[in-house]
Amino acid sequence: MDTTQLLKGVLDLAVLAALRDGDGYGYDILRRLRAAGLDEVGDASVYGTLRRLFAGGFLNTYVVPSDEGPHRKYYGLNAAGHAELQRSGKVWQGFASTMDDLLRERETA
Amino acid sequence: MNSTAQDEITEYVERVRAALADLPEATRAELLEDLPEHLAEIRAEDTVTLTDRLGTPEAYAAELRATAAAFVGGFPDPPKRRFDPLLAARADVMRVLGSADVRIGPVLGYPKASDFLQLLRPAWWVLRGYLAAMALAYFVDGQSTQVGLLPRIGNSTLVALVLLAGCIVVSIAVGRRRFELAGWKRLALYGGTTVLVFFAIGGFFSADSDVRDTGYNDVGYSSGGNPYDYIQDVFVYDNQGRPVPGARLFDQDGQPITIGNAYCTDPDTGEVDHTRSMGYPYCPDAAPFASARPEPTATETPDERPAPDEPSAAPIPTPTSASPSK
Repeated sequence: MDTTQLLKGVLDLAVLAALRDGDGYGYDILRRLRAAGLDEVGDASVYGTLRRLFAGGFLNTYVVPSDEGPHRKYYGLNAAGHAELQRSGKVWQGFASTMDDLLRERETA
Repeated sequence: MNSTAQDEITEYVERVRAALADLPEATRAELLEDLPEHLAEIRAEDTVTLTDRLGTPEAYAAELRATAAAFVGGFPDPPKRRFDPLLAARADVMRVLGSADVRIGPVLGYPKASDFLQLLRPAWWVLRGYLAAMALAYFVDGQSTQVGLLPRIGNSTLVALVLLAGCIVVSIAVGRRRFELAGWKRLALYGGTTVLVFFAIGGFFSADSDVRDTGYNDVGYSSGGNPYDYIQDVFVYDNQGRPVPGARLFDQDGQPITIGNAYCTDPDTGEVDHTRSMGYPYCPDAAPFASARPEPTATETPDERPAPDEPSAAPIPTPTSASPSK
């Protein structure tokens, strides 16, 4: 099992979580995820996920002109996004603790 | 950012776009919206190539497609292609070309042969400009005049040079901006280039055969060529109608006139030998009036013979003038 496979299932949650602390543009969000330790996350995956979450109604977006370089498209959580983050976060925590228990039982068994 | 990096980014974006070609235009535009900026940021902070950093554009497109899909009913899968055999054949060709690319490259001193070919790209742009100018001149004016090496219209060298320069500049400009072309413009470029390639191949072989076959120009076909091309031999007759053996011909500058073919066919054996004659005619036996030539003997009536000072006493007799029945 490698992290890339696991990441596929939780990429939405990871991106939502990365936006919790503030709006960001694509590369910015990618850097936050990498800084948090998700080294395997692919550039295209982040952009694809942002696009999908936006299409699903969880994000708002706006363009910010940049002094140096190109204009940047910022993404931020809207109300639905915050709610989804809460809900998915709980699902993940439940799932993760189940897995933790499972692994712990195996180890002690 | 230098232009090489800009080119790299543009090419990467275009290849991603091509890999997403089956999506609706609006969806694809949304997916690609951030890509140029993203690539520019990567390029600015990293010196490795985009492909090293991100994987191939096709892989990037696949990842983008996979992550952007599922959630909202998503995008359709790539449609089942109808021309599977064609696509398979194309894949085979690409595989063969790819392995040839890698094998031939080291012979040339490059990792891949395509690396070398890419260096030739600007040279191709110049050549394409020349071909475009030639094609233009040919279709505008080619039917009326002989096609030369310059794209002449109405026999004007100045027009030819201006047209040539213009076409080359346009071709280079198009080459530099080829990634910015989309839709029908891109198709037009590819189609036009294909036509030019066929035009060039046809023109090349036509010019090649023109150069090689000038000796075989038949008089019936030579329009505007040398009217003496067909001459094989020269027969000189004096004003008595007698053939002059070993005659020499000179032009106004005293330069000897070399004309005809210094080989003779033996009428009996059919063998071809170099002439033994030191002047014209090369082949005295092949004289056109040999059989009907009147022998200047006393047996003929003198008044039948043209007098030397008469205007009708042409140096070259015609068969009828030699005939006693006249």
